[in-house]
Amino acid sequence: MLRLLARRMMTALPTLAAIIILSFLLMRVAPGGPFDGERALDPETRDALMAAYGLDRPLPEQIALYVGRIVQGDFGPSLVYRDFTVTDLVAQGLPVSLILGALALIVALLLGLAAGLSAAAQAGSGWDRALMLGMTMLTAFPTFVTGPLLVLVFGLWAGWLPVSGLGDGDPAHLVLPVIALALPVAGAIAKLSRAGLAEILGQDHIRAARARGLAPATVLIRHALRPALVPVASYLGPAAASLLTGAVVIETIFALPGLGRYFVQGALNRDYPLVLGVVTLYAALIILFNLIADLVYGWLDPRIRG
Amino acid sequence: MRIALAILAAIILAALIGPMLLPWRYDAIDWNAVRAAPFTAGHPLGADGVGRDLLARTLVGTRVTLAVAAAAALVALLIGVAWGAVAGWMGGKVDEAMMRVVDALYALPFMFVVILLMVLFGRSILLVFLGIGAVEWLTMARVVRGQVLALKQRPFVLAAEAAGAGPVAIVARHVLPNLAGVAIAYLLLTVPQVVMIESFPSFLGLGVQEPLTSLGILVKDGADDMDVAPHALLVPGGMLIAILVCLLIVGERLRDRFTI
Repeated sequence: MLRLLARRMMTALPTLAAIIILSFLLMRVAPGGPFDGERALDPETRDALMAAYGLDRPLPEQIALYVGRIVQGDFGPSLVYRDFTVTDLVAQGLPVSLILGALALIVALLLGLAAGLSAAAQAGSGWDRALMLGMTMLTAFPTFVTGPLLVLVFGLWAGWLPVSGLGDGDPAHLVLPVIALALPVAGAIAKLSRAGLAEILGQDHIRAARARGLAPATVLIRHALRPALVPVASYLGPAAASLLTGAVVIETIFALPGLGRYFVQGALNRDYPLVLGVVTLYAALIILFNLIADLVYGWLDPRIRG
Repeated sequence: MRIALAILAAIILAALIGPMLLPWRYDAIDWNAVRAAPFTAGHPLGADGVGRDLLARTLVGTRVTLAVAAAAALVALLIGVAWGAVAGWMGGKVDEAMMRVVDALYALPFMFVVILLMVLFGRSILLVFLGIGAVEWLTMARVVRGQVLALKQRPFVLAAEAAGAGPVAIVARHVLPNLAGVAIAYLLLTVPQVVMIESFPSFLGLGVQEPLTSLGILVKDGADDMDVAPHALLVPGGMLIAILVCLLIVGERLRDRFTI
């Protein structure tokens, strides 16, 4: 277990470094800069600004400085939101995104596992097929279509739920964004758990449990569920990635002040430090989730702990 | 799966020839039909906020979206098959190193890379789908590598080796043809990913430019207008969902059939 963890860390850090350097270079080779506004700045002001932000130094030096500061938790100043450091902006946006993502993950797990269990319990029936077709369709629904559709139906037509912003922290504001974000992930989890369960249910230890006269529900939950969750666990990494990217879409649609919105604004404004900071953070989160997925995986299936 | 294929074929056909048969061009403005509801003012599916025929716009948008998706998926196919086939065939250290690269790239937040590419390199559609293709080949590479590893042990490949065929000839004549089914299945499964990745930047206003359109832009316009003209969201949104669902159903079926 520890060796697995150590090996993963060994690949995680260079990966993160490569991603930082890559996105850094990408931002710099692109045409256009953060100080290209409607009116051209006079050359002296421009040069002074470039020097103040260290943009006039050679690229390798800039990268080295940047990485060195990140290690200390300093992502630099925002070039567009004056008086704010990227760390300030991230500190404002990250909690919103994390709450949104965590709630969506919980909803997706509950919904997906419930659907997967209920379909596998009656494998081959019409209910199974209908449910799984429905779940396949869920995975195909892009969040930027389901988001507005949910707003239209539940917000505008039915008038049940608020459709934008965070209000004053009223949880009702999060209902639609969380559902829109959770649906495709729920579909994928349902399909994985259904496939895993169907396979496990055909095995000997399940037949033995049934032969001992245990109730079908007990067999399903006590004996079949844990091994069947292995494929679901291995999907947790990609699921987290998809929730994080999905959150960008959802935050834009529902006007939530999360990290994704800062990223989009930052990219449009060429606010290099902000964009780099968000990309680095997201990459780190994805790597972290893959690590957690590996650990959960080992816990569920002792054979691969080695 | 037959139904899904038929719907897909109908959509592709409609996107290709439909706009030519309609009385309205996708960019023609009909001031008498601003936000017209379906079946009114001579517009079968109504009109958008500036009176452009929604059916024509949706069909043209479908055409653009499908073209971008197909091109990007092809780029992903080429890179993925080449990468996976080389890694699987060479095995050993080369395989290890090449797959590490794939693992590492999986940690990239793709949507961000594409948005960055679009912001940075402007609205060149060509670059956009090259960029999308370049980030979407990872799964293809993994799958192809697995298939090649399995094929390498097959008797007919061993026989070809024993008969003195060189590695290039074996891969080209015996391995790649047997990969075709799986590669096509994953190609179809890549398309929905690409469609989503293309549509969202369009949704932000970073993709294709007006008056040309794509499904992402139409959904965005529809979402802005949905309180007064819900059909402007429902028509392109429904089209996009129909395409994605059909592709997914066909792709998954093919994958299950061809995976070794």
